[in-house]
Amino acid sequence: MDLGLVATAGVLLLVVLIGSSHLRPYDTPEIDPRPALLPIYLLRSLARLAVAYGLAVVLALGTGHLAARSRFARRLILPTLDVLQSVPILGFFPAAVAVFIGLFGGSALGVEAAAVFLIFTSMFWNLAFSVYESLITFPEELTLAAAQFGVRGPLRWSRVVLPAVMPNLVYNSILSWANGWYFLTASEIIAAGPARYTLPGLGSYLAQAITVGRNDEALVALLVLLLTTVVLHLVVWSPLEMWAERFHLEETGARPRMPRVARLLARSRIVGWVTRVVVIPGGQRLLTAAARLMDLPGRYGTVFAALLGTAVAAVLGYGGLRLHALVTSRRLSPEVMDIPLSLALSFVRVSAGVVLAVLIAVPLAYLTFRGARTRSVVLSLLQILGSVPATAFFPIIAVGTVRLGLGMNVGSILLVLTGTFFYVMFNVLSGAAAIPRQLDEAAAALGIRGPRYVARVFLPAVLPSLVTGCVTAWGGGWNAIIFSEYVVAGGRRYEVMGIGAMLDRATYVTGDRQVIALSLLSMVALVVLVNRVFWQPVYQRVAARYKMET
Amino acid sequence: MAAPLSGGDAAHAVLVRLEQVEHLYHGRIRILGPIDLEVREGEFLALVGPSGCGKSTLLRIVAGILPPSRGAVRLGGRPLKGANPKAAMVFQSFALFPWLTVVDNVAIGLEARGVGQRERLKKAEKYLALAGLSGYERAFPKELSRGMKQLVGLARALAVEPELLCMDEPFSALDVLTARAARDLVLDLWASPEVTTKTILLVTHSIEEAVTLSDRVVVLKANPGRIADTVDLAALPRPRRADAPAVRETVDRMYALLA
Repeated sequence: MDLGLVATAGVLLLVVLIGSSHLRPYDTPEIDPRPALLPIYLLRSLARLAVAYGLAVVLALGTGHLAARSRFARRLILPTLDVLQSVPILGFFPAAVAVFIGLFGGSALGVEAAAVFLIFTSMFWNLAFSVYESLITFPEELTLAAAQFGVRGPLRWSRVVLPAVMPNLVYNSILSWANGWYFLTASEIIAAGPARYTLPGLGSYLAQAITVGRNDEALVALLVLLLTTVVLHLVVWSPLEMWAERFHLEETGARPRMPRVARLLARSRIVGWVTRVVVIPGGQRLLTAAARLMDLPGRYGTVFAALLGTAVAAVLGYGGLRLHALVTSRRLSPEVMDIPLSLALSFVRVSAGVVLAVLIAVPLAYLTFRGARTRSVVLSLLQILGSVPATAFFPIIAVGTVRLGLGMNVGSILLVLTGTFFYVMFNVLSGAAAIPRQLDEAAAALGIRGPRYVARVFLPAVLPSLVTGCVTAWGGGWNAIIFSEYVVAGGRRYEVMGIGAMLDRATYVTGDRQVIALSLLSMVALVVLVNRVFWQPVYQRVAARYKMET
Repeated sequence: MAAPLSGGDAAHAVLVRLEQVEHLYHGRIRILGPIDLEVREGEFLALVGPSGCGKSTLLRIVAGILPPSRGAVRLGGRPLKGANPKAAMVFQSFALFPWLTVVDNVAIGLEARGVGQRERLKKAEKYLALAGLSGYERAFPKELSRGMKQLVGLARALAVEPELLCMDEPFSALDVLTARAARDLVLDLWASPEVTTKTILLVTHSIEEAVTLSDRVVVLKANPGRIADTVDLAALPRPRRADAPAVRETVDRMYALLA
């Protein structure tokens, strides 16, 4: 039985119910639009991202390791992660914010904590999964050797576990960090019912400039953002990736790899320097320190999981009672009747977003993959684009599509596309990069080229990654739909009927808790249901047939 | 011929004793046992048998990295819990940590036992030298040939100075010539006064290998894995050449046992 699924539903339910009851009007002033303040805003945004990332890594190591080690914990953790990563977490933001603000007694620290939490949710899932995957695919003989030579405790973490997860952890960190940027705007401007919280930061600055229509400020902010992304790749991620190379298992062969801006811009001179001077000496120390930290809760892993299970069961019971009270306390809002149709319409839009993403990403990935020389340029561009907080540009996209006469329906699908495309693209690319060279050489030797190569080699080889990409894109699409069906720009509202629009209206305009709770729950139910009855069987079938043996 | 378990040679104390040990797959299907087995101090004991007879499983149970589903493992009269503190293992595919240098790989068992850095480096270097790998301390495993990797695995096991050396098909991933050199090295080290480890438990699918190396051979049969016979080779003179008539005759006799 899906213990985790039930548990998650309970926690989410409670967040909505408790959260929405604490809302009180609270207005933060508009943030100062002077571009001279941008460095400060940038630092504050970076600090939020860094804290969220640190939390995400530590928790991902803990949960991923626990899931790989204990069968009981695995049954709780894996379904929970699976559901949470596919659930439109953005929809829970207002409620989660209220919980944090309540926890911190309404102080600004509560808003900061909420923002960090929201960014955290965008970074955590793939990290946890990557830790788990690395550990369960770790060669059995190495695990046995460690056990046989008595390697345990902090030594096991620093010599076995952390090295084993490091390459995938670093690779996924880059994706997580990009995800964090994508969520930045949403986390720095949080509106909940009558309350509106704006945290000074790059995301809020950008969004404000766009909403108000100060294009030159928006442009400056965007440039700062792009420059930051490039610099971070040069001084953080590329050196980390180079450092993580040493932890590769030679047997496992090709692994998803992305050439980076670094290679292009500096021929890795800066990267090389940072790697030598900072990362390599610091890395070992970090490893040792992290090993000590991670060893602490690991000792009580099973106890911890059992406690968690009990707590979740209690929460579930309480949440159910609260929901029951909420629904029966008064007559159902007339809007509740619109939920099925809204859900169906949103379903169509999200599906269209995924299909479009596949149609664009697969040919693009193929071209990128074939053109060895352009590959690193395209990949770098994609990484930067994937890091742009697209939600800040939603007003522009929405207004633009409507002005072109395409209507808001097309507009909202385009917005959904920003939340689906990169998942599909990056997954297909990593699948393509993992095609064994021998297979390629065999194809070339047999004269398999052009369309036949695509049909016989490329598509089958990337199919498992493509499906993985679609599953994550499906989740990302539902996240995006919350901001895609209801956009306010220049004092005008652009909206179409859908579950996202309904949720936004209930959250920002009417504050109807009944509608919030029911629309969220029905959306979560649909997402989870489609995952179970469609994506999981599809993935299993595709993986069984097309997965490369390692 | 079905010689019984050659009755307790009183001169040799028992190091590890398995009593009615079984291994169940998914807690239901018995793939090994029940097995009674003694590993005696100072002997070179080989486990041979066809693939799937559970010989590697048996070795892991002796090494304490796999608890038996049923039955008991006794170490000097006491039940064994967890990794066998008196044993060290050499793995078929080497199981070297690719991110550790050769010397760090060899020292990891000592590090786990809390030996200080200086002491463990000294010991690791000593055993690397005995394995003929001086000068490769700072290399990474991927820079070595397969044969050298397995010698690192051997040095790592010997470095913790175990009473019992467990070897799981240590030569089967090596080419013929390298395997022969490695076998000779193991025999040399076994005889060397520099090495304190005097009891060896070898798992192999090669009857020739078992006969040329060991004092006693336990022959296993499959489905479920049980002891078919035990053959005492203490009387067979050393050094043994694979083409010596006495060795040939023993090998043939054991092939007949397995057929």
